[in-house]
Amino acid sequence: MAQPYPVKPIRFVVPYPPGGPLDLMGRLIGQKLTDAWMQPVLVENRTGAGGNIGADMVAKSAPDGYTLLMGAVATHAINPSLYSRISYDPFKDFVAVALVAQVPNILVVNPLVPASNVRELIALAKAKPGGLNFGSGSTGSTGHLAGELFNTMAGVRMTHIPYKGGAPAMQDLLGGQVQLMFDNLANSLPQVKAGKLRALAVTTDKRSPFVPDIPTVEESGVPGFDLTTWFGVFVSAGTPRELVVRLNTEVVRILALSDVRQRLEEMGAAPIANNTPENFSAFVRREYDKYAKVVKDSGAKAD
Amino acid sequence: MEQLLSNLGLGFSVALSLTNLWYCFIGVLLGTLIGVLPGIGPLATIAMLLPVTFTLSPTSALIMLAGIYYGAQYGGSTTAILVNLPGETSSAITMLDGYQMARQGRAGPALGIAAIGSFLAGSAATLLIAVAAPPLAEVALKFGPAEYFSLMVLGLVGAVVLAHGSVVKAVAMVILGLLLGLIGTDVNSGVARFTFGVPELSDGLGFVAIAMGTFGYAEIILNLEQGEHREVFTAKVGKLLPSMDEFIYCVPSIIRATILGSALGILPGGGALLGSFGAYAVEKKLTKDREPFGKGNIRGVAGPEAGNNAAAQTSFIPMLTLGIPSNAIMAMMIGAMMIQGIAPGPQVMTQKPDLFWGMIASMWVGNLMLVILNLPLIGMWIKLLTVPYRILYPAILLFCTIGVYSVQNSAFDSILTALFGLFGYICVKTESEPAPMLLGYILGPLMEENLRRAMLLSRGDPTVFFQRPISAVMLVLAILLLIVITLPFLQKKRDEVFTESDQ
Repeated sequence: MAQPYPVKPIRFVVPYPPGGPLDLMGRLIGQKLTDAWMQPVLVENRTGAGGNIGADMVAKSAPDGYTLLMGAVATHAINPSLYSRISYDPFKDFVAVALVAQVPNILVVNPLVPASNVRELIALAKAKPGGLNFGSGSTGSTGHLAGELFNTMAGVRMTHIPYKGGAPAMQDLLGGQVQLMFDNLANSLPQVKAGKLRALAVTTDKRSPFVPDIPTVEESGVPGFDLTTWFGVFVSAGTPRELVVRLNTEVVRILALSDVRQRLEEMGAAPIANNTPENFSAFVRREYDKYAKVVKDSGAKAD
Repeated sequence: MEQLLSNLGLGFSVALSLTNLWYCFIGVLLGTLIGVLPGIGPLATIAMLLPVTFTLSPTSALIMLAGIYYGAQYGGSTTAILVNLPGETSSAITMLDGYQMARQGRAGPALGIAAIGSFLAGSAATLLIAVAAPPLAEVALKFGPAEYFSLMVLGLVGAVVLAHGSVVKAVAMVILGLLLGLIGTDVNSGVARFTFGVPELSDGLGFVAIAMGTFGYAEIILNLEQGEHREVFTAKVGKLLPSMDEFIYCVPSIIRATILGSALGILPGGGALLGSFGAYAVEKKLTKDREPFGKGNIRGVAGPEAGNNAAAQTSFIPMLTLGIPSNAIMAMMIGAMMIQGIAPGPQVMTQKPDLFWGMIASMWVGNLMLVILNLPLIGMWIKLLTVPYRILYPAILLFCTIGVYSVQNSAFDSILTALFGLFGYICVKTESEPAPMLLGYILGPLMEENLRRAMLLSRGDPTVFFQRPISAVMLVLAILLLIVITLPFLQKKRDEVFTESDQ
C-alpha cells in the first residue's frame, strides 16, 4: 500500500548559483509544488564543480522522493564525459522524472564580422583558417561544445576562447575581441535587437517559434546539426515508481500553467510533448551519447 | 551637460522612490552601526548581507550595500573620537586629533566637522562619478584581455607601493594571495589545481570566507586580547557644531582631502584607508598654525574624514564602469551584482541606466541622510559601546558563521573562515597586512585568465601587450612605479610618510 506523500518538507537541489534561468525555474516549480501539496518545497543552491556537487548530493540521498534535483545537460550529459573522475553515474544513480525546458542556443557574431549568414561565415573561416575566435561561458558548456561540433561538421577551424561565465564572454564579443558565440537565446536576443550583435542561426534542427526569422544551422548548409540546452527534474535511483509518476504528473501540470508557460517562452522553450519519465530517460541517454562523441572529437577535458 | 542632467534626473527619480529611500536608509543606518562598533567592518557586514539581497531588486540591493560602505566611514569616526578605538580601520588616523579634542571637551565640534567634512567630500565625489564615469566607460569597451592584464599588473604593483609597513612583507602577502587564487578549476583547460580531491575546492576558496576570517574574526580575537578598559567621554560631548571660525579654518583641508581622496579611491588597491592616511599626511605638512597635530587640531579630523569618504565613493568608478574591483569591498559589490544576474562591466551603464544612475544619486541622498542621522544618534551609539564584549562578540561570531554558511550552503566554508580567522590573527601579530593578500587573491586569477586569453587570441605572440596602446601605457606606468619603490631616496620618503602618520 502506498505511503501518503508528501508528509514532510521536500528539498529541491539546484546545482547552480541563484539567479540563473535554472534557479528561477526551480524556484517557480518549487513554489507551485508547495501550493499544491501544502508542504514546503525548499530550493537549495548547492553549487560547484560544474553542477557535480549538487548532483552528487542528490545521487547519494535517500530514494524516498524528498530530495529532488534540477539536473541539466551539463550534469547528466556533458560532465560524465568531460570529467575523468566523477562521483556519480547519470543513469545508475538517478531516475529521470520530467524534462522542464529545452532551449536553443543562438549563433551570434560581432557586427564587424563580414558574414551575414552561416554560409558566409563558413567561407570566411575557410579563407583564413584559425582566424576566427568563438567565446563561451566555460570549458565544456553547450556554447563551447556547439562550437566544437560546428568545427567538426562544417570542416572549419575556429579557436575556442573560454571565459569565467557568460557575462565576460559577452563583453568581449561586444567589444570585438572575439568574433562569435553560440550563446543562450534569451541572453543574446536583447543585444541582437539593439543592433550590437548579428544573429546568424539557431542551433536546433527546427526554427524556434519565438524567433521564426532566424534560420537554423542545419538549413544553412550543416546537415544534422542539432543542439539544445536543457534541464529537468531527477530523483535518486531506487525511488518507488508511484512517487516518480506522481512527481512527473505534478511537474507536467505545473509546466502547462499560463504563468509558468510565459516564463518558459521568455527563455525560448517550446512546450514538450509526451513528457513521461521513460521519454525523458531515453532523451538523456541520447544526449549523453551525443556529447560523449563531441567531447572525444574535440579533445576537451576537465579535472 | 543636458545629458548629464537628464541622467541625474533619472537617478534621483530612482533613488527617491520610497523603496529605495528605505533601503538606502537601512544601509546607512547599518553602516553607521557597524562603523561605530570596533572590529566589525563593512566587508564582513556586506558579506553577511549578500544572501539577504537575493530577494531585493538589484538597484535596491546595491543602494543598500553601498550605503553600508560609506555609512561605515561615518560611524567609524564616532568611536575614534569618543573612545579612541578605530571603529573602522580608515578612521584610525582620526583618533589622533579627534580623541584629543574630546578630552578637551570639544567632542561636539570634532564629531560635527567629521560629519560635515564627510558630507562635503561625499557630495563632490558623487558629482565626480556622475561626470567622469561615462567617458571612462567609453574607453572600457576597448579593454580586451591584453588591457585587463596590464591593468591588473599596475594594480598589483600599486598595492605594494601604497601599502604601509614593510615592502617585503607586502610583496610576500601579495604572492600568498596569488597562490591561494590558484586553487580551483583552470578556466582554459578545466584542470583542477591544488584541490587535493576535495570537491568543495574545485571552484576555489570562497572569497567571503577568506575576507571574513582574516578581517572580521581576527579583529575580534585581537580586541578580546586587549581586555575591557574603555574610557567614554559621554558626559562631555558639549555643543554639537563647530563654530564658523573653525569651519572656515577647515574648508581648505576638506577641499584638498577631497581631491586627494578621490584620486586615491580610483586607483586599483586604493580605497578609504589610503584616502584618510594620505589626507592626514598632507594636512600635517601644510598646517603650521593653531594647535600642533596630535594635540587636537580640528584639521586633523576634517582632512582624513573628508579624504576617506571621497575615496570610499570614487572607488565605485572602476567597479561601475569597468567591472573591476579597486578593493575588497568593491569585489563584494561585484559579487552582489553577479548574484543578481547583472554582468558587471561597461555595459551596466547603458543597459541598466536606472541602476547605474540610481545608485549614484542614492550616494548623495545617503550622505545627506547620514548627516541628519549621525548627530542626534551619537548618544545611542555610546550606549551600544557599553554592551559587554562577552555578549557582543559571541553574537557577532554566530551571525558571521551563519552568514558564511549561507553563501554556498556549505559547512566547509564556515570551517575555512575559522581557519582564516586564526591566520588573520597571526598576520596582525607578525605585522603582515592581510589587505595585499586579498588583492593578490582577487587580482591573481583575473590576471592569469586574461594573460592566457590574450595569448590565445594573439596565437602566442607576447608582444601584443606592447602593441596595444592602452596596455602599453599601463605596463610602462607599472614599471615606473616599480622603479620608484626600488630607488633608495624615494623609499625613505615613503617610509617617512607612513611612520609619521602611524604615530
